[in-house]
Amino acid sequence: MLLNDTIGSAASALRAHKMRSALTMLGVIIGVGSVVLMVSVGKSFQRYILDQIASFSSNLVEVYPTGFEKFGGSTDSLTEDDFRAVEKLTTVQTVAPVIFITEKTTYGSEELSPWVFGTTKNFFANYGLKLQAGRLLDDRDNSAASSVAVISSQTAEDLFGNRDPLGQRIQVGKKFYTVVGVLQSIGSPVLQDMDTPVYVPYSTARAVTGQKYLSYMTLRAVGDYELTVADITSLLRQRHSIHNPENDKDKDDFVARSAEQATEIVGQVTLGLTAFMGLIAGISLLVGGIGIMNIMLVSVTERTKEIGLRKAVGARRSDILRQFLFEAVFLTSLGGVIGILLGTALGLFLSAVAAKLLGSFTFVLSVKALFAAMMMAMGTGLVFGLYPAKKAASLSPMEAIRWD
Amino acid sequence: MLKKVVPLIETVDLQKSYFSGDLETPVLHGIDFVIQEGEFVSIMGPSGSGKSTLMHILGFLDTPTSGSYLFRGEKTRVLEDDALARIRATRVSFVFQAFNLLPRTTVLENVILPLLYHPTIPASEREERAMKAIAEVGLTERTTYLTNQLSGGQQQRVAIARALVTEPDIIFADEPTGNLDSASGLQVMNVLQELHDHQGSTIVLVTHEKATAEYAARIIQLLDGRISSDSRDFKRKDAKTNTDLK
Repeated sequence: MLLNDTIGSAASALRAHKMRSALTMLGVIIGVGSVVLMVSVGKSFQRYILDQIASFSSNLVEVYPTGFEKFGGSTDSLTEDDFRAVEKLTTVQTVAPVIFITEKTTYGSEELSPWVFGTTKNFFANYGLKLQAGRLLDDRDNSAASSVAVISSQTAEDLFGNRDPLGQRIQVGKKFYTVVGVLQSIGSPVLQDMDTPVYVPYSTARAVTGQKYLSYMTLRAVGDYELTVADITSLLRQRHSIHNPENDKDKDDFVARSAEQATEIVGQVTLGLTAFMGLIAGISLLVGGIGIMNIMLVSVTERTKEIGLRKAVGARRSDILRQFLFEAVFLTSLGGVIGILLGTALGLFLSAVAAKLLGSFTFVLSVKALFAAMMMAMGTGLVFGLYPAKKAASLSPMEAIRWD
Repeated sequence: MLKKVVPLIETVDLQKSYFSGDLETPVLHGIDFVIQEGEFVSIMGPSGSGKSTLMHILGFLDTPTSGSYLFRGEKTRVLEDDALARIRATRVSFVFQAFNLLPRTTVLENVILPLLYHPTIPASEREERAMKAIAEVGLTERTTYLTNQLSGGQQQRVAIARALVTEPDIIFADEPTGNLDSASGLQVMNVLQELHDHQGSTIVLVTHEKATAEYAARIIQLLDGRISSDSRDFKRKDAKTNTDLK
């Protein structure tokens, strides 16, 4: 039997059983569609988050004690002298020291627990934080260790509601601060935490906490951040008397890292999430495959007479096997194509909705996922079609004809 | 001296048993007969007489347990699955009681079906051959109809066209009028008789009814797996003039 005839026989059998063909495809359509949708949505979100981070973090470098991210690491390693030395590096633009005050912020009966940064005016420049009302912290605040605070938009709303926060006195721990400035919202739903901190002068925080060491420092690199990170690393190793020519990070008592490196970690996390969603969608494809086998087995029973007839007029085992296998692969391939189209369409729709909600959102179509889903769909047809096809091929023509 | 004619079909002590576990159920107990090319033979017997089993063996759908079956003088017992399929594709055809047409498919597609599996007839000749076979059963005007739009008699004539299309050596008709009313049955018998009388087709008609069997020229009667009579000594009915088919 010619290949053309196999295709023709399969096509006419599928046409004669439209409902059954459609139902068979449905499982694959849903499976492939969800693989494509899940992976694309995952990728799109990853892209979105990375874009958000990149928007404020290009050539931003952070230096912190190892205890900041590793249990058992040093927390008291960055001194004010370190800060001044870093400030003098030619590869460093603007650097800001930070000391956290870990106490509650209150106004009247309102009580909140935002991060309270003791820092300098450079901090706002480094993170691109903009003022909505009042003023930022300045050098005089620091030299005088004044009791003033700049608050973020969300905290301003939570503490004061519709009232004007400027000139009001808030309390952090036991000390009162006059609100001199309110920041604009970052406007990013993923980075909402950045709309909550309270900022007070570095010198004030130092006096209040009695901390001799910095919580961390943040700086803008001049040009390539890698050079800056290298400069800081060798400077601080020298200052901390750490002999580390092999560049073993575990020997250091500090970490200097660009925010772009941090985005790689975010990338890995979201990649894992994407893979997980893809896996779940893949399971639905497997279920779809089992559905195909189920329907095809029923179809073999239902078409016993037809198979018997084909054998009676001269079809060989291999002819029947090929026809049934072809039917299965054709159905799953067609289901795969429809699934890809539907998954992509739904992904585009969701992206449009996300773009409305989030401001900007780019739909990322994963070509790899498309390809993999299509291969999986065809493989599903081949694997789950094989058993029913073999069963059909091995039917005896007599029994098949007698069957009612 | 007369040249010896090789018979189309010759069986020698043909036996068939079915086995289920250790239990042997013999169905045919040694069948010997000869069918020459161009004959119209009825194989007649009550149900359980083994006539269907015999037809399946003669039609290469089944193989005998012992004895030999010679087709054009050649022994056929040792054939493989694919070889049997090839003989079914080229040498023999069937007409079944239940028509066995493909559902929701056109008359033309049904008649072309055996040609899809034919090893030598080229694809380009299929439609022409199918149209010719359809014309022979008088259904040219119904070529594009779906089979479920036809009456029972018309469906059986489509099945006969499908049997003719490969120009087989022999056509087996298994109770071809069993599902039809007498008028349609008569039409079908008429088509078979004309094929025999005008085209010289060899036809084996399997039936349990004497009235139907008598449209053939020879009746082989089976009882309990043995031939109980083999006779040409009766008046053949003519489907064109006879109306007593039940």
